[in-house]
Amino acid sequence: MASPTVEPRRPTTGPAHRRGLVGWFDPRGRRLGGLAFILNRLTGLGLVLYLYLHLMILSMLIQGPNAWDDFVDIALSPPFLALDVVLLTGMLFHGLNGIRVGLVGLGVVPNRQKALLVAALVIAALVAFVGALRIFAGEQGG
Amino acid sequence: MTVEKQPADRPDAGPRNAPVFVLQVISGAALLVLLGLHMVAQHFVVPTGLRYYEDVIAWLGNPVVIAVEVAFLVFVTYHALVGVRAILFDFGFSDRAERRITLLLWIVGIATIGYGVALFAAILNAA
Repeated sequence: MASPTVEPRRPTTGPAHRRGLVGWFDPRGRRLGGLAFILNRLTGLGLVLYLYLHLMILSMLIQGPNAWDDFVDIALSPPFLALDVVLLTGMLFHGLNGIRVGLVGLGVVPNRQKALLVAALVIAALVAFVGALRIFAGEQGG
Repeated sequence: MTVEKQPADRPDAGPRNAPVFVLQVISGAALLVLLGLHMVAQHFVVPTGLRYYEDVIAWLGNPVVIAVEVAFLVFVTYHALVGVRAILFDFGFSDRAERRITLLLWIVGIATIGYGVALFAAILNAA
């Protein structure tokens, strides 16, 4: 039997479906699992965009050392490092929440969704914090 | 009417897509390992956080690195595009449209992996 925090499967017709993309951003009536659902999709879409951005940036390596090394200098500036922290946080949440979805979806721990989500959030926050310290410490060390 | 409940963000819409969900979990698990390796090897053990050109070329000269990075690219592309597919399917397209979306995403995925592999080759050839 499904846990109460489980997001109901959306019907393919009717008002709930017509909410479409806007419905994702509407927190009304959502439980914790529903908010995790939204966040998982937003971080997932962000990571997909980053994947293609990353491939585009790597193509600068073909242009030789000057182009790449200039980019590295820019990427090591504090604003870009802050974006690295955002990226790391998104990856951590998506990965840890993915473990939760996998464990629940495969029936390994079907009734512990909420506890797993809280654990995922806490671990993601802690590791992101340590990661942020590490990232900015590297910047200060040159 | 009883609405069957599914776990949050489960990317399948029913029994027909159950294998897609299982493959998504498997690719996600593989990514946890490969992304971890990628992050540690490419960023955390590098004193500056990013490699400069000469270091990148030297790093890519190791065939094991290339194998791991290509495996990472394959799994991340598959996982990303199955996720995009799940989101698109939430809009309630017809079966025919869903089949076209799936085909289109397969083409995008193969093109992405092809581009990535070609990029590795071009970088090594340019060095």
